[in-house]
Amino acid sequence: MNKNKFILFCILPSIVILLIVVIFPMVGAINYSLQDKSLRFLEGDYIGFQNYIDMFEDRRFINALKISLYWELITVIGSLLLAILVSIILFEYSNKNYRILLAIILIMPIMLPKVSAGLIWRFMLSPVMGLVNAPLISLNLNPIEYLASPKLALFSVAFVDIWQWGLFFGVILLFLLETLPRDLIDAAKIDKVKKWQLHYFITFPMLKGSLITIALIKAIESLRSFDLIFTMTKGGPGITTETLDLYAYQQGIGLRGEISYASAMSVAMVIITIVIFTFIWKRAQKS
Amino acid sequence: MKKNLISNSIIFLLILFAITPILFALLGSFKELKDIINPIPKIIFSPTLENYITVLTTDSILRGIQNSTIIVGTSLLIGILVGIPAAYAIARYKPRGSNDLRFFYLSIRFMPPVAIAIPFIGIFLDLGLYDTKTAIIITYLPVTISSIIWLSIPAFESVPKDIEEAAGIEGCGYFGIFTKIALPVASPSLIGAVIFTFVITWNELLIALSLSSRNVTLPVVAASFTSLGFETPWGVINASAILLAIPPLLFVGIIINFIKKYISND
Repeated sequence: MNKNKFILFCILPSIVILLIVVIFPMVGAINYSLQDKSLRFLEGDYIGFQNYIDMFEDRRFINALKISLYWELITVIGSLLLAILVSIILFEYSNKNYRILLAIILIMPIMLPKVSAGLIWRFMLSPVMGLVNAPLISLNLNPIEYLASPKLALFSVAFVDIWQWGLFFGVILLFLLETLPRDLIDAAKIDKVKKWQLHYFITFPMLKGSLITIALIKAIESLRSFDLIFTMTKGGPGITTETLDLYAYQQGIGLRGEISYASAMSVAMVIITIVIFTFIWKRAQKS
Repeated sequence: MKKNLISNSIIFLLILFAITPILFALLGSFKELKDIINPIPKIIFSPTLENYITVLTTDSILRGIQNSTIIVGTSLLIGILVGIPAAYAIARYKPRGSNDLRFFYLSIRFMPPVAIAIPFIGIFLDLGLYDTKTAIIITYLPVTISSIIWLSIPAFESVPKDIEEAAGIEGCGYFGIFTKIALPVASPSLIGAVIFTFVITWNELLIALSLSSRNVTLPVVAASFTSLGFETPWGVINASAILLAIPPLLFVGIIINFIKKYISND
């Protein structure tokens, strides 16, 4: 076997399978999105772009678009801030000998299936049996309905996401801080630079590239909000936590079974995400 | 001395923040319902194994464990067979267009899962595959293949080239160098990559939920418990949340070593 044949033999199966498994549903989605199929009436007629037109007049779709945007902003910024805080705490206050043990404990939340994390936090936040409300109740105050309040629900679910990802990225940032040249940090310490100054002016600017990559990874992962939100609130109360994937699921699979309309939404989602992330990724690679 | 005390308590608070919720659910999984429904959580109670017994004798859970094992195992195996040679060829030979190829594998991760699941429902209905394990395995392949490739490339890049070249001079073919030299040398990191992918697939809910109504994986079964009836069986829910989380948590040590190596390699 010559070299080129060997390379082809190694790479080709992955490309063929991926193309089939990705292109099939995409062609399927575009095809369905131009019809009026539903799970109850599988025989559909072609209706042109009607589903796409309906989408932008659908207030629930616009709401989902808005909630998805909030979700992205809150979870990306929240996990990054928590991660920076956690990494500085670990770097400054933890004994080097125990760091790996600490890291193991701190990445436990991210290892939890979203379903487990969601159930565990529903239990924690419950007004009748949760740990979070216990101090309020013992002071004879009213418990806070974290998941049933339209104002708090989105933040409460996002908090769980940040709890999982922020701690994980905190550990990653700690490992990255450890790769920085030690003499630089020691020199700063001899000069009696304050801890926050050291990190604000020296270490984190050196990690700028990694921070951007982490933010990007988190932005991509935050698009997969379904598992956690579905477990914790199913999009409620009302539609206050209904992101795009939840709404598409409710339309296409849940009660409605409007598979054509949901397909139009899927196509829109794919186009939006691929365009935005390809653009951002290529820009980030250049800089 | 005082400084030590402050830093230790800060670290201790951080640990509490990370694991209190998990421990609280673990505690709850050993409580009877009457001990759970209590505004001030009870620390002292008589523990019971009843919740775990209920969970482990429920048909849907047992089927969920079995289905999850088969579905995750098969899609992981195909991911390994297809993904690891691809990662090797890209890392070792950097063929023309390999940067675009890497981006292609990564961009698979950009696809919103719901956008794959919805059209696949229609396709699998047409093919008569809806509600089968095969359907879910197929739908998991983009995830397993692309993440195994993406995570394995650095593992092969860190294999010293001269060992491979020496083997080439001694008459090993391309395939021989791959299986006899590169694979064994890279295998510690490859195991990390596979386990990472295992965790992602084991934890997945949306696709399994969409493509099955009875052939469900463990996350689907666990998520369905909360919508049962009026009196929510929180002891059983806690037990199933813990049970579902055990397999990924078992690998936490391997994952942390993998991450550490991944970062210091860069």
